[in-house]
Amino acid sequence: MNYFQLFGLEEKFNLDTERLAQVYQKLQRSVHPDRFAHASSQEQMLAVQKSSMINDAYQSLKNPLKRAEYMLTLRGTEMPNEQASFKDNMFLMRQMELREMLAEVKFADDIDAAIFEATQVLEIEFEGLFKTMQTQLADNTEEANQLASDNLRKLKFYQKLHLELDRLEDFLFET
Amino acid sequence: MAYSEKVIDHYENPRNVGSLDKNDPQVATGMVGAPACGDVMKLQLKITDEGIIEDAKFKTYGCGSAIASSSLVTEWVKGKSIEEAAEIKNTAIAEELALPPVKIHCSILAEDAIKAALEDYQSKQDS
Repeated sequence: MNYFQLFGLEEKFNLDTERLAQVYQKLQRSVHPDRFAHASSQEQMLAVQKSSMINDAYQSLKNPLKRAEYMLTLRGTEMPNEQASFKDNMFLMRQMELREMLAEVKFADDIDAAIFEATQVLEIEFEGLFKTMQTQLADNTEEANQLASDNLRKLKFYQKLHLELDRLEDFLFET
Repeated sequence: MAYSEKVIDHYENPRNVGSLDKNDPQVATGMVGAPACGDVMKLQLKITDEGIIEDAKFKTYGCGSAIASSSLVTEWVKGKSIEEAAEIKNTAIAEELALPPVKIHCSILAEDAIKAALEDYQSKQDS
């Protein structure tokens, strides 16, 4: 049984996250330790295992990038090694520029405006890639899945940039 | 996590940070990135007609180990022939900097950056 089946959801990228959360609560209640207080130790252990599995499933489906990764794994799309180097030159040049943009923020005359602008730039580029990946996941051909997997790797760079921006913001407003 | 003294030294005093003119026919540029951590590394080599690396610059956005790995590599490749530079292995980088297992990928990234730069040099020679 895969994670979508566990939650009784259709295997689609655009899922109803509210429903996902509701089913999660319901499933977790069904394996809650209180319900197994008088059960055998074996049943108690099974409930704990099940609870941990439900939790893993929920985490994998809740986050869109993790969900995409999980779906691609289910489809047998070869996922490049996380540690393998990425060599798309154009993309990496852009990443350098974006990193430089973030490094410049703290020297801006109007830091709030610079942060706002940087956030906008990152969001627009993230959204563009995200929408493309969404379409490719919906296409669900071998080729589209491969392209979706490439875009997923790119999106991870943006996820990292967002974290950097958050960190920068914390740093600038603390000092 | 504790960084080794060598990593801290390279991190605090990085060697050869900067850029070379990427349009110079003698300059080779290697760009690599690691999706797992979002690190981006640019390594540029200035190579003489005799195939000797006379200058090297880097720019890396990433953790201390990634910066130290690329800084170390620029020191190592200077004065080397392109054949010798191609021989540099990530294991040697990791050993020199005493990188912990979770940071080995930083040394792989640095090795791949050398390879990417040498490939760029080759394609510039061919064209």
